[in-house]
Amino acid sequence: MKPLLTTAALVAGTALGGAAFAQQDCGEVTITEMNWASAAVVTSVADFLMTQGYGCDVRVVPSSNVPALVSVAETGEPDIVTELWTNGTPIYEEMNAEGSITTLTDVLSDGGVDGWWIPKYLADAHPELTTIEGLMANPELAGGRFHQCPEGWGCKNINNGIFRATGFADAGFEIFQHGSGETMATSIASAYENEEPWLGYYWAPTSILGQYEMVQVDLGPYNAEAHACNADPDCDDVGMSSFPPAPVKTVVTPEFVETHPEVTDMLSKLAFTNEQMNGLLAWQEENNASADETAVYFLSNNSDVWSQWVDDAARENLSALIQ
Amino acid sequence: MATYDGLFETLGLETWCGGGATDGPMTMAELLARANNTPAAEGADPSVPLLQTPFPSLDALNRSCAAIPRSRDMTEAVENGFLSVKDGLKTILDPITQPLSWMLDLSLEIFQDIPWFIMIPILVAATWFAARRIGVTLFVLVSFLFMAFIDYYDDAIRTLSIIFVCTIVSVVLGIPIGIAMSRSNALQRTVIPILDILQTLPTFVYLIPLIYLFSVTESKIYGIAIILYAIVPVIRLTDLGIRLVDRDVIEAADAFGMSQRQKLWGVQIPLALPNIMAGVNQTIMMSLAMVVIASLISAPGLGVKVLAGIRNLELGVGFVAGFCIVLLAVLLDRSTKAALSRIDASVRS
Repeated sequence: MKPLLTTAALVAGTALGGAAFAQQDCGEVTITEMNWASAAVVTSVADFLMTQGYGCDVRVVPSSNVPALVSVAETGEPDIVTELWTNGTPIYEEMNAEGSITTLTDVLSDGGVDGWWIPKYLADAHPELTTIEGLMANPELAGGRFHQCPEGWGCKNINNGIFRATGFADAGFEIFQHGSGETMATSIASAYENEEPWLGYYWAPTSILGQYEMVQVDLGPYNAEAHACNADPDCDDVGMSSFPPAPVKTVVTPEFVETHPEVTDMLSKLAFTNEQMNGLLAWQEENNASADETAVYFLSNNSDVWSQWVDDAARENLSALIQ
Repeated sequence: MATYDGLFETLGLETWCGGGATDGPMTMAELLARANNTPAAEGADPSVPLLQTPFPSLDALNRSCAAIPRSRDMTEAVENGFLSVKDGLKTILDPITQPLSWMLDLSLEIFQDIPWFIMIPILVAATWFAARRIGVTLFVLVSFLFMAFIDYYDDAIRTLSIIFVCTIVSVVLGIPIGIAMSRSNALQRTVIPILDILQTLPTFVYLIPLIYLFSVTESKIYGIAIILYAIVPVIRLTDLGIRLVDRDVIEAADAFGMSQRQKLWGVQIPLALPNIMAGVNQTIMMSLAMVVIASLISAPGLGVKVLAGIRNLELGVGFVAGFCIVLLAVLLDRSTKAALSRIDASVRS
């Protein structure tokens, strides 16, 4: 009896159109969309798979790291927080420890890349500038200025620790603190337009680093102890350390895990490598595309990747797209 | 096929168009159609219901005629247009605005270098000479002592220094513009729409392009942002004030054979002074309102504290810094209002 019913439901569903053939009662699901390029693509892909594969009624909530977590802590909404950069958000550790959120996976499986960068044309002309020793020996070649993170960003303290450890500011660099991420991005674009030197902190995957080729400055090996001290403005024992890969997570509420086991399973497999994400963002930039169109590009060309994330029933629903 | 194919056929523009639809990325709608095995979005169905006829927009027309640019081609053209004139603009605007950077940096240095035990008495004395009111003067004293006591004095002084420079520049530029507007209806008709734009255009829309023109590290970037926003009321109210001067008084001045210049300095400006001062007061308030936005483009001061408070969810820092901004606003407003009422009284007497 059961197979017959399922078939009947499928036939009826196909006739009615996509969202109607829910394999289960998924109901309304809320998911964050962080305000940067890669996150918009991740959210759009997750949205599509949940809507079309699992019959969910997905509502997208624009947000960013800290506000999303605070909202989860205080109201239990949104259900899914994806592309959460946990480095700059101490509240994540607390919530994870007390169990008010469940961490599913590293949605960017290689982790984000934080670091100091110089434009490729500068690195080609002066290869010695790709190490911190080389920079400190030639401040004038690197423009004599370091583009520092805005007030309130975690990286500001870490960079300050490195400055204190190396005497970077005394080597002839002016530390310029930006007011926001937007002006940092524009200063890179503007330097590239004029082929001027640029040195500062940035992170990947971002559409800026997808669009403008930058070379990472070698800050030496990662040293957990020195790095932890660098991040603490009151710690005096600063030392040299490069940035560890930044964990970028998908997080859901514990209730969501209980009520939506299938979707949870899919979300815990949904992850991008940096190579995939950089490729997508570069494609988006080249084609002037929106985040939705980038998600469509990924979904229509990489069904071998995402068909591994979904379960059998959802794969059935999406069979038309799987090549 | 697409809705507007017929239109281009009738006009005989098919050869000019060179076929339909530039190849764009697949849209979500097309993917959904593929997922559901419904070929509708492929465009095989010509009978689009009347109620769903798309507006003849760039994107809709492009589907029938490839020669018409899509919306994203249009925005890209705007961007390229800006990038191509940027070098020319830079050679003109960079030297003109350079003094603003010097003034902001110099004033910041002076305000910060004067120790608190000299600075606070100077501010209190300035209030007393402007307002001549014991209440306002005491309020200024208590406010600054309070901000110094909770360690927000340095940020408050930086904010005050920025407002000081921006207000002076706004007044020096704004009053002559206002006077010129009051004398020429044609000029008034051209300037008023510009003022409307300045007050409503989202700040970041013109700030981010400014970074291409000047280095982001220059203080004039935030100076320009504040001045463009704060200059509006002083222009408007100068224009209004002079236009409101009584016709009879002007006639009397003419009867005495006053020259244009004598009329302006001896009659119109003194009579318009209450309005002009109200404009100056509003200009100060507007520049204070821009403190937080200016901090997004690296202006120092209380705005930085507000941003840090929001970003790290240190609600206390945000609240206290916000309260200090309010305090600055109230004391600047009260002291300029008190000065204004003195001028008012002297005009009436």
